[in-house]
Order: sequence, then C-alpha cells, then structure tokens
Amino acid sequence: MTYKTRLGLRGLLAAGAIAVTTAMPFKAQAETTYNLALLSDFSGPYADIMPILAGGREAVFTWWNETRGKELGVRLNYKNYETRYDAAQVASLWPGIKSELDPIAVVGLGGPDVAALSERLPEDKIPMFMATAAYGYAWQSDAWIFNPRPTYSHESAGFLAWLKEKRGGDEPLKFAVMASEASPAYVDMAKGLELYAEENPEELDLVEVIYTEVQPTDLTTQMRRVARAGAEALIIQTNTSIVVAAKRGLQANGADIPIMMSSHNGLPASGGALGGLEQLEGDYEAYGMAVAADEDTPSRQFYETLVSDHGLDAPWNVVTAMGISQGLYTVAVIGHAIEENGAEGLTGEKVREALFAGPITTEETHGFLPTLTFTPEAPFPLKGLKVNVGTVKNGKISIEATGVDVPDVHKW
Amino acid sequence: MVYFINDIITGALIGLLYSLVAMGFVVIYRASKVFNFAQGELVIIGGFIVWYTTMEVELSLWLSIPLSLVLAGIVGYLIERIFLTKLIGESVFSMVMVTVGLLILLRGVVLLLFGPAVRPFPIIFPLKPLFLGDMLIPMNLLIGGIITIVAAVGLSWFFNRTRSGLRMTAVAEDHVVASSMGISVKGSIAFAWVLGAILSTIGAMIFLSGKSLTFLASDIGFAALPVALFAGLESIGGLILAGVIIGIAQSLTTNYLDPLIGGSLGSVVPYIIMLAILLIRPTGLFGWRAIERV
Repeated sequence: MTYKTRLGLRGLLAAGAIAVTTAMPFKAQAETTYNLALLSDFSGPYADIMPILAGGREAVFTWWNETRGKELGVRLNYKNYETRYDAAQVASLWPGIKSELDPIAVVGLGGPDVAALSERLPEDKIPMFMATAAYGYAWQSDAWIFNPRPTYSHESAGFLAWLKEKRGGDEPLKFAVMASEASPAYVDMAKGLELYAEENPEELDLVEVIYTEVQPTDLTTQMRRVARAGAEALIIQTNTSIVVAAKRGLQANGADIPIMMSSHNGLPASGGALGGLEQLEGDYEAYGMAVAADEDTPSRQFYETLVSDHGLDAPWNVVTAMGISQGLYTVAVIGHAIEENGAEGLTGEKVREALFAGPITTEETHGFLPTLTFTPEAPFPLKGLKVNVGTVKNGKISIEATGVDVPDVHKW
Repeated sequence: MVYFINDIITGALIGLLYSLVAMGFVVIYRASKVFNFAQGELVIIGGFIVWYTTMEVELSLWLSIPLSLVLAGIVGYLIERIFLTKLIGESVFSMVMVTVGLLILLRGVVLLLFGPAVRPFPIIFPLKPLFLGDMLIPMNLLIGGIITIVAAVGLSWFFNRTRSGLRMTAVAEDHVVASSMGISVKGSIAFAWVLGAILSTIGAMIFLSGKSLTFLASDIGFAALPVALFAGLESIGGLILAGVIIGIAQSLTTNYLDPLIGGSLGSVVPYIIMLAILLIRPTGLFGWRAIERV
C-alpha cells in the first residue's frame, strides 16, 4: 500500500468518524424528552416501603423508554423529590420542581401531595397520578389528580358483594367496620360504606362502625359485640395496628369472623405485625389492583420481565405491585397523548385530555389494573370497576377471586 | 347485665393501665416539678427495648424483661444527665420546654433507629382471657391492673415514708433550699427519671403484649394525661381512683354511646372529665393545695 493510498484511507476513516460523531447528536435530537416529577417519602412514615414502591415505578419508566418510548421517539426522564410525606414540604418544593423540570405529569404518593397540590395543579395545568384508592371527600369533577382505583368504600362494597354471593342465600350479609377519627381518610372509608349499606338493606346489614385509636389498647369487648351481632365480615381499611388488635380481640372471644384489609394494611403487612401470615388464615385483602400472590399471572410475568431485563430490584409484593401499576397507567396515558398529538409539544394539559379520550386497557397495564375509563366527573373511573380478592391459604397468599364487579356506590 | 358489668371491669383495667403510665408523669413531677411531655415517647422507647431484646437478640422473657427494665433505667438516666441536669436551678418552664423537645427528638430517634415498620410485640402475658361465667377479662389488663396497684402502694410508701422519698419531695419544692439542706438535687431528679422510664417500660409491656409496635404507641402518653391531671400531679394513690373512674367512663361511652352517635366520643370523655374536675378543683382530686404567704 503506497503512502498516498494510506493517506487516502486515513482520510476516509477520519471523514467516516466525523460523519458518525456528527450523526450521533442528530439521533439524540430525534428523541424528544419529557420530564416526570416523582414525589417520594424516603425519610418519613413510609420510608420502609418507599424504596420498593419507587423501584416499581422507576423500572416501568425504564422499560417504557426502552420499548414503547423508542417506537414513539420519546424518552421520559424522571426525578424523585423527597417530601417526607409532609404537605408543607410538598408545597415548598413545588415551585422549584416546576421551574427545574417543567414536568408533563407528577407521580404522587399520598394524602399530603393531594392536600398541597390540589389547588396548584389546575392552575399549572399538570396532572398528578396516584397509586392508591380514592377518597369520598376528593370525589369532585374536573380533577387534575387521578387514582387508578375507586374509593376504599367502592372496594369494600365490591368485596362484600362477592362474599355474599359466595355465602349464598338471600339474607343481607352482616358486617362491621373498624374506623378511627385519627385521620379524615379513615372516617371517609367508613362513611361511604355506611351510606352504601343504608341504601342497600337487602344486600348488607351493617351491625356497627367501631371507632378506635390508631393503636388500640384493647378491642376484646368490641369484638365480642361484633360476634354477638352475628357479623360475617369485619372491614378494616385503616392500619395494621388496628388489624392486630381486632384479631387479638376476635381470638380472645373464640370468634372466627373473616377480616377484609386493603392494600396498605394488607395480608403481608398485617401478618408481619401479628408475627406470621398463618395467623390470618382465611382472612382477605381486596382492592382494585392485581394481588401479588404466587400464581403465574400476566402481572407476575411482567414483574419478572422488569426484574430480569430492566433492573427492578424489589420483592413481589403488594407495594411493588402498587408502584408498577402506578407507573404503567401513567406511561399508558402519556403514550395515548403522544399518539394523539405527536411526539413534539406535549404538555400536561394534553396528557390530561388523553386520559379522558379513551380507556386504558387492562392489557396495557399487564393485568395490574382493570380497564380504566376516566371521565371528568370523578378523579377515578366510575364504570367497569373491579376488585381482586386475596386470601391466606396454608400460610401463603393466594388469589381467591379476580375481576369482581364493584356495585354502584353513590357519592357521600 | 353481665356484659355491662364486664364492660365496667374491662374499663377499670384499661384505666389502671393509664394510671401506670401516668405514674411516670407523677414520679418525675414529684421530684422535679417538671411535667414530662415526652412520657408517651418513654413508653415506646421501653417498648422497642423489650422488642429488641426479645425478638432481635432472642433472649427468653425471663432474661429480656429484667434486662429491658435495666436498659430503660439507663436511658432515663442518660436523658436526665444529657438534657436536664444543666437546667437545675433554672426556671421550671425551661425544663418543661426541654421535655417538649425531647418528645420530638425521641420520636425521631425511634424512627431513625427502628424505622416506621409495624413490628410484632412479644406475647408477655397470656393471650387467652380469663373467663368468669359469661364474663371475659383480658389477661394482660388483669395482670397489669395488679402490677399497677402494687406499684402505686409501693411508690406511695416510698415517697411518704422513706427518707429518700421525702428528700425527692423536698427537691420538688425548691432546688436551692433542698441543695442548701444537703440533699442531692441532681441525684433525686436522676432517680425520678430512671423510675419514670422503668414504669413506662412496664406500661409498654402491658399495653402492647401480643399486639404490634410502632411509634404510634406513644399516643398512650396523651391517654394517660387526663388521669394524671384528674388525680392531681402529686398523688400516686389518687392515680388508681382517677384511672378507674376515667377507664369506666370511657368504656361505657365507647360501648353504649358511640354506637348510637356513630362517632368516637369515648376518646374525648377522659378530657371532658379532666376539664370538669380542673374547673372545680384546679389541683386535681388529690393534688397538694399550696398555701403561699405573701
């Protein structure tokens, strides 16, 4: 090879290298980037579950960027903001979040986020997507904060309807509710179900709503009253300490009344606080989301994919499932908004419009959530509501029922 | 009728549990004239010590209980040494404000060390209740009630009949005068905090036996507050009567009025009783009436 040829080859190589390096930024520019603000509590009351919940939702965003996002030419960046589950902290962080990220959506955690941002988000035209069930007091039209699950009262009403059908017979199902005035949310859960039972006496017979402290001293006499009234179920959607005290009260009375818990105080959490899942044999958890049981379900398979291919490092439990489902319906809505408006110029307002434009199918959320049809009338879907029921069988959590219809619960 | 009597008995026993926690308030108050707002936090510190020695270190109850009481005493001593000893001779108000700070600090320390997770508390007293015909009495509350009465009798004797107890009372009257009489003010206050922490740990064991433990358990400090103020902050014996009255009133309200009104009047009743008695007798039922010469 002559010197000239070598020089020519070098020149060609250099030109090629320049062409490649010049082309790279163009490729990056072709991918439109949008930001999501993730509100988290790594140092407050939910510090113990936050890494798992955050792991679930972040893994979904990674998965979406590597799959659907690539097809659409969009990348979702996200940043966690530490709120310490404190409304004042959320309120003080919000102006900074907005100017730093200009997010198209907020991924919220709980009540303090709602309290701090419910007035701000409509003004700023940024929607917030939550993971939990909704509350009656937040049941308002034209919302900017959305829940994939209906209210806790809807979920318990669905469970009771299922339990009545399972029991058989025409007599109304007798049940009791544990509540606490320590939190407006706990009162709200009871009030909604109370009204539903009042309006449907042929279906349900509410024997008593028992108000107690968040860490009850003793519930033995209260549980005796519930047992004497012939209750067939005890609804506890408050916290694990009340589940534990009620269970001890039932055990002391030799009463075998099944308890229904929610996702945040469900079978794994309450079983742990009781010293073993086997203590909750025959009790239930019910919510409008996939039950994290051992069975091979589409949601379980998707979780496995996130673990093997997208770096998810979290156990298969209800908290991880909550994080994944929150991430999934958020990216589904954003995906719809991009399909409708194109990859460029997406705003929070367009994302919210996309939420109302069409349903988010259960396939899109890999079975984590039922098909969700949002309307401007409520911050959660009002039609096609379903709950799943989990139970403890032989010391293990298993799925008892899926896709249980939720009855019409009127606003209270 | 049987159930009504049962509700009265259970209420009285819950009231005695409040009395035991309130005893911590009174012991510290009698020795230092300081109202310890962090009493509920001492209960959870005690609870976490018991939980740690039993569930984490896996000691048998026979070992973990005395060890926990010793450790709780050390914590009480350290709290006094670090935060309060330097305030001796300063206004009572500053010391009270320190206990408010302690409330926040101890809650933070518990969250930092143990996290917010709900944990199973060891079963210290039998879960099976005592059946008396149709009546059912929770064993933890029954044994707890006996412990409370024994502790009240013992502490009353100590404060009223022993030299050390009377010295502590003198310290509460006036730090400077007590000191000039050769009484160790620091020693008396430190001993009161040790005793307060131990009583709180016993209270935690009765309250939480077989249940769950979180920092929410500190709320029992607020439940015990009406008992302490109702009895009068200097009277240990009076705590028993005050606890029983408040416990029964609360139990009857919770079991018979709450279901009718659909609310939680039971948790408010102790405070209503407390306010009513304070209006009639500001020093509480058995509190000392100070006569001041002007």
